[in-house]
Amino acid sequence: MEGLTKRYGHLAALGGVTFSIRPGEILGLIGPNGAGKTTLFECMAGVLPPTAGELLLDGRPLSPVTRLKTLFYLPDAVAPWSAQTVRWALEFAVGFLRGRGDRLDAVIEGLDLTPLLNARMGTLSKGQRKRALLAIGLLTAQPLLLSDEPFEGLDLRQSREVAATLRRHAERGRTLFLSIHQIADAARICDRFVLLSGGKVCGEGTLDELRDDARGSGTGATANLEEVFLALT
Amino acid sequence: MRSRRAAWTWLLEKEMRELVASRAWWVLLVVMGPLVGFAFIGSVRTYAEASGLGGTSAGVGEAFSPLVGIWAPTFSACELAAVFLLPFVGIRLIAGDRQSGALKLEIQQPLPPVVRIGVKALVLLAGWIIASVPAAVAIALWRSYGGSLYGPEIATVAAGHVMNAGLTIALAAAAASLTEHPSTAAIVTLSVTVGTWILSFVAAVHGGVWERLAQYTPTAMVAEFQHGLVRLDVVIAAATLIALGLGVAAVWIRLGVPVVRRVAESIALAAMAFVVVSAGTAATKSRDFSESRANSFPLPDEQTLAAVRGPISIEVHLAPEDPRRVDFDRHVLAKLRRVRPDVHVRYVSATSIGLFEQTSAGYGEIWYDVGGKKTVGRSVTAEAALETLYSLAGVTPRPADDEAVFRGHPLVTRAPGATLVFYVLWPAMIVSAGVWARG
Repeated sequence: MEGLTKRYGHLAALGGVTFSIRPGEILGLIGPNGAGKTTLFECMAGVLPPTAGELLLDGRPLSPVTRLKTLFYLPDAVAPWSAQTVRWALEFAVGFLRGRGDRLDAVIEGLDLTPLLNARMGTLSKGQRKRALLAIGLLTAQPLLLSDEPFEGLDLRQSREVAATLRRHAERGRTLFLSIHQIADAARICDRFVLLSGGKVCGEGTLDELRDDARGSGTGATANLEEVFLALT
Repeated sequence: MRSRRAAWTWLLEKEMRELVASRAWWVLLVVMGPLVGFAFIGSVRTYAEASGLGGTSAGVGEAFSPLVGIWAPTFSACELAAVFLLPFVGIRLIAGDRQSGALKLEIQQPLPPVVRIGVKALVLLAGWIIASVPAAVAIALWRSYGGSLYGPEIATVAAGHVMNAGLTIALAAAAASLTEHPSTAAIVTLSVTVGTWILSFVAAVHGGVWERLAQYTPTAMVAEFQHGLVRLDVVIAAATLIALGLGVAAVWIRLGVPVVRRVAESIALAAMAFVVVSAGTAATKSRDFSESRANSFPLPDEQTLAAVRGPISIEVHLAPEDPRRVDFDRHVLAKLRRVRPDVHVRYVSATSIGLFEQTSAGYGEIWYDVGGKKTVGRSVTAEAALETLYSLAGVTPRPADDEAVFRGHPLVTRAPGATLVFYVLWPAMIVSAGVWARG
């Protein structure tokens, strides 16, 4: 991502955001509420027009068509197809979104969706809906998956199971870029981190690299990701 | 393993499922029965009363045309539903995706936005056709009473209402895509509808260019079809406006495109539509599908008028709201324009209602000019106008064929069973189907 800027009139939601994503990694986008995480994802996915900036793949700008083939964005706080069953929503993801039908059973099992298959999407609890939507994201075929707050609404046990499922998908070569505001969740699953605050990137790297940056800035304790985040933002 | 089905078929299935899940559609279905039934039963009774008075001579024959007596009022119920209920079904189907966030997922499938909107419009149109089944039931009942059916005129009326539904769907689609919230879209849609009514009112008062514009409001366009008349300029205008509405909707569902660009594209589409509709107004072809030839002069008169040499000019000294002018427009000029598209008509009046011009010299006069020969008359009947034109042109029409005169189809019936069908069976059937389909 190169110099992504998004302005709403005089308000800059994102100001020249630049970072990189490596194939097969789980990259965490860390930031407080209002940092611009969702705006960043939506600009990357092309559902929100950026004011400036480019998405580059191997140094070349991504065309809209190539972008659709390269990444899939799973938004947070959406409740699609409320009258349809979970089973239909997953089949729709495979059919309409050109997802991977061969992964269907594994994804259903990994996210413990079997008991929910005949339930309507509109009747699911927040956590159940999050798992159903995550299943849709995992079924898509694009090599990069952007997921906004994948652990939102999940309890501790579900968070751990979802983290394990995501890890398995990353190990199979899928690149994951996850927006997470719960730093403990991010620390548990992500390989690297992009720290975002006030629409700007405050740090990028592994926990150790960020720790070194924080030490360099001399702003306090840096034992864990929370302290590193506080030190750098 | 990936799906082999084309992406648009998945979308079609999804939209059909969403339509069936939509309460708004089921409400439309339930309401259509009593709405059509009320109009049908009322018009059958009125028709029967008129038929009971007897008399089937050529003069009163038109009064017994099922087109005017039964189908125009019965299908008017569809027009009412298209204006006040169908927009909400359309907005629910289109704005619902944005509200629920489904659109953010679905636009990541590289399907052209025109196809997305086209599929939604197709499903909505199918939903409308299903909702129009009570009108088909009315036709079947009329037939069972021994009523006369003339296929071409019923097909014309039905086509007019499908076209009207298309206009409503296109408007609702554009409004739902342009606005952030369904309630705003509903307000925009109804505002446009009210705006067309205001335009019709202004046209009735001021005439002139307003009158020409008002010919292309949905109400005016449907009215032509309800009289069994298909005008090419109306069809071009309707098709263009439908394409414009759906095109604007397709432009605005592309969330990732900058607003400035979407505005520019919408303006370009509107400009193109304006050019096409303006050019289309020059199209003079039309066809009268009514059994009674309600929109045409008798065939011998049409043949005679077509053979008249030289340009025909008519100067009408009547105000736009004067009932005589309305009569003259409807019964003479509209028919004359169909056979002589080159006729030049000029209206002269100082006021809009004409009430205070009655004593003015020349008010009420109609000047005819055929190839430079002029005369004046005051009658607004078709017979008087034709006689004047023939006199100026120096021609004599072939005598009317008495057999060809439409003598009407009187029918005395009390619409048995209609109350049960429209007020009880239809709502009960739809409610049961709705409960079953929505689980």
